[in-house]
Amino acid sequence: MLRIEADRARFREIVRGRIRADLKRYLSTSELFARRGERAVSVPIPQIELPRLRFGDNSKGGVGQGHGERGDPVDGDAGDTCAGAAGEGPSEHALEVEVELDELAAMLGRELELPYIQPRGRNNILCEGGRYDHIRSRGPDSLRHGRRTLKQALKRSVASGEWNPAAPKIVPLREDFRFRANRPRPTPHSSAVIIHMMDVSGSMGREQKEIVRIQAFWIDTWLRSQYDQIEVLYIVHDAAAKLVDRDSFFHLRESGGTKISSAYELCLSQIQTRYRPEDWNIYAFHYSDGDNWSARDTERCMTLLRDELIPRVNQFCYGQVKSAYGSGQFKKDLDESLSGVERLVTAAVNDRGDISESIRAFLGKGR
Amino acid sequence: MRIQGLARAAGLDFERIDFRLLDAHEVNGVAAYGGFPTRYPSWRFGMEFERLEKTHQYGLSRIYELVINTEPVLAYLVRTNSHLEQKLVMAHVCGHADFFRHNSWFASTDRTMLDRMGRHSEIVRLAMERHGQDRVEQFLDRVLSLETLIDPYLPLRRHLGADVKSMSNPPTFDILGFLALRAPLADWERELLELVRHEAYYFQPQRMTKIMNEGWASFWHARLLTGGVLEDSEVVDFADCHSGATADSPGRINPYKLGIELFRAAEEQGLDIFRLRRVHNDASLIDLLVDAEFVERQKLFIYGANPKTGRAEVIEREPARVKARLMQDLSWGGLPQIELISAGQSEPRALDLRHHHDGRDLDFDAAKATLVCLERLWGAPVRLSTVEGGEPRRLVARRGEASVDDEPE
Repeated sequence: MLRIEADRARFREIVRGRIRADLKRYLSTSELFARRGERAVSVPIPQIELPRLRFGDNSKGGVGQGHGERGDPVDGDAGDTCAGAAGEGPSEHALEVEVELDELAAMLGRELELPYIQPRGRNNILCEGGRYDHIRSRGPDSLRHGRRTLKQALKRSVASGEWNPAAPKIVPLREDFRFRANRPRPTPHSSAVIIHMMDVSGSMGREQKEIVRIQAFWIDTWLRSQYDQIEVLYIVHDAAAKLVDRDSFFHLRESGGTKISSAYELCLSQIQTRYRPEDWNIYAFHYSDGDNWSARDTERCMTLLRDELIPRVNQFCYGQVKSAYGSGQFKKDLDESLSGVERLVTAAVNDRGDISESIRAFLGKGR
Repeated sequence: MRIQGLARAAGLDFERIDFRLLDAHEVNGVAAYGGFPTRYPSWRFGMEFERLEKTHQYGLSRIYELVINTEPVLAYLVRTNSHLEQKLVMAHVCGHADFFRHNSWFASTDRTMLDRMGRHSEIVRLAMERHGQDRVEQFLDRVLSLETLIDPYLPLRRHLGADVKSMSNPPTFDILGFLALRAPLADWERELLELVRHEAYYFQPQRMTKIMNEGWASFWHARLLTGGVLEDSEVVDFADCHSGATADSPGRINPYKLGIELFRAAEEQGLDIFRLRRVHNDASLIDLLVDAEFVERQKLFIYGANPKTGRAEVIEREPARVKARLMQDLSWGGLPQIELISAGQSEPRALDLRHHHDGRDLDFDAAKATLVCLERLWGAPVRLSTVEGGEPRRLVARRGEASVDDEPE
């Protein structure tokens, strides 16, 4: 390993410290998951610079070389081979540092004091795998254990009287062959499904969706760290609901009315057909601005939730994002008619600053 | 060896050169340490490494070679360079080696710096063991903020035989030197301060001769390679590689390009280029050689941000002003000129600094933070008088807080 790796590790440690200290801010921006990979996110951080006495804004610019008339733009962002150019301060490129999602989840957990989740459902599933630390008498040649094979052959020849100490010679037969083997061992294995539902009717604007996006990112990150296997479903609805992929979920925009029950029905049918509550930990999240088409439909929602959905899920979370048009009635209705229902959590998100509070409300129960 | 022989025959004169082959990853590691793999541990080098690795990964830039001013000269070549590139780089390195040896700004640099860096590393590690990593790091960061507060002309004066001891007393530009002598520090702190100062002075000549040094090396790699080293089949690749390194770059000065053109212009005028490379630095060489014709031929221009759009634009091409701007940017290593005027005169123990204002204001946020570092180190208030937007200003740091005090003196 290069010596510089130690310094790089130290630098990363400092960066993590900064992210941790600044997590509140990251919780309300979309900066973090702009470039998100499978297991890690690239966190853009401003170059950590030591303060220096240097020139300020009124000396920006310098001398360049090339064609161009007065007023022509100069697109000079040359590579670093020409660093140290005249009159320029140090480069101001943001630096990106990779942080594992698990680590980010740990930071989130610490910041919001989230309890760990006790998974329910079938916890122990038999898994193939494990170390090759056993012996058996059948197997592929590539796993043949030479010493044990010879030992077996020796035992057999001694037992059968063929053994001659003066001329020690053993010839393993097919039956003497011994092979390395692994033993399947049960490992705890838990899976969860997250169902995100969102109202995409006309009244949900860009900012509202952005809030949902940020919140969904953190919820996914946390739950992912709690379960071995996670699946995520996205459902959008206006007057009718449909299953979409992640990308359309955050960008789709429909006009027209809002019928919340449509989403709940789709959600329920998904659970019934694909995710048996005995095997899966189910998390349902619904985001809307609180408007529903009619009181009748709201009534239908309540029935669906109470009788069908809530009994099947670990937790049902309703996040009401404030919009210019939304009345915010739905949360009131929920709180009234389903008060005391344990697995229902509602939260109001007025702006980005409330995101961390609502995440705490949703995930703080440890269910 | 053949290239070195040709270089010597052409008049270059240099120390033995130690070539080492490294892969790209290792070269980034060495480059992050400023060329010294033995350098002391610091997160800043780790950050630089991270940056180099990323730009390398994205294909934005690539290091061909690193040359270290020591005896013998140490040159790192990247293993993945093509055969032709290695030849070019080796010829280039000969140019640098000659420059290190003969340019007078380098005359008093420490040529045993490789060992010295190793010792510095020991000192820092020992301090970390004794006083804790965080504490040492914090102190080092503070000192490094002040790293630029040195007198770029001090090494030259030392070389010319001046008594440099007295030059660290106010009024002085060697503020680090003053602090090393007079600041109330623990022994280990003083030791760290001195090592930072030593390294700052070691690197200083390279800042002041960047254009010349790269120009000289490029001038010679072009001349040596086209003068017999190249095989016929390599000519096109050479042209490609060479023109890549010396291309115009609109947004900033490419030191390779400007430097090589300066030496070519000097040769055309019949000047002794060997003498020029001995006595000049970037600013003085430009002062000597840049005239209206040069500015026009090289298509030099001044650019700046358009106040409306914020985009960088060509502002003008008037030769005299282009030259003036170029020299201003290069003078004093491209940094504001800060002088320590007095210690303890206006108020007991307080330091009074002055920014020699030349039309360019300071970055006030950075200046405040820097003054706080200085104040913490010195243990008493620090004042800096400067100018902002034509108005005199005074920055004051006391008890860890900095403020702008606009009452003129």
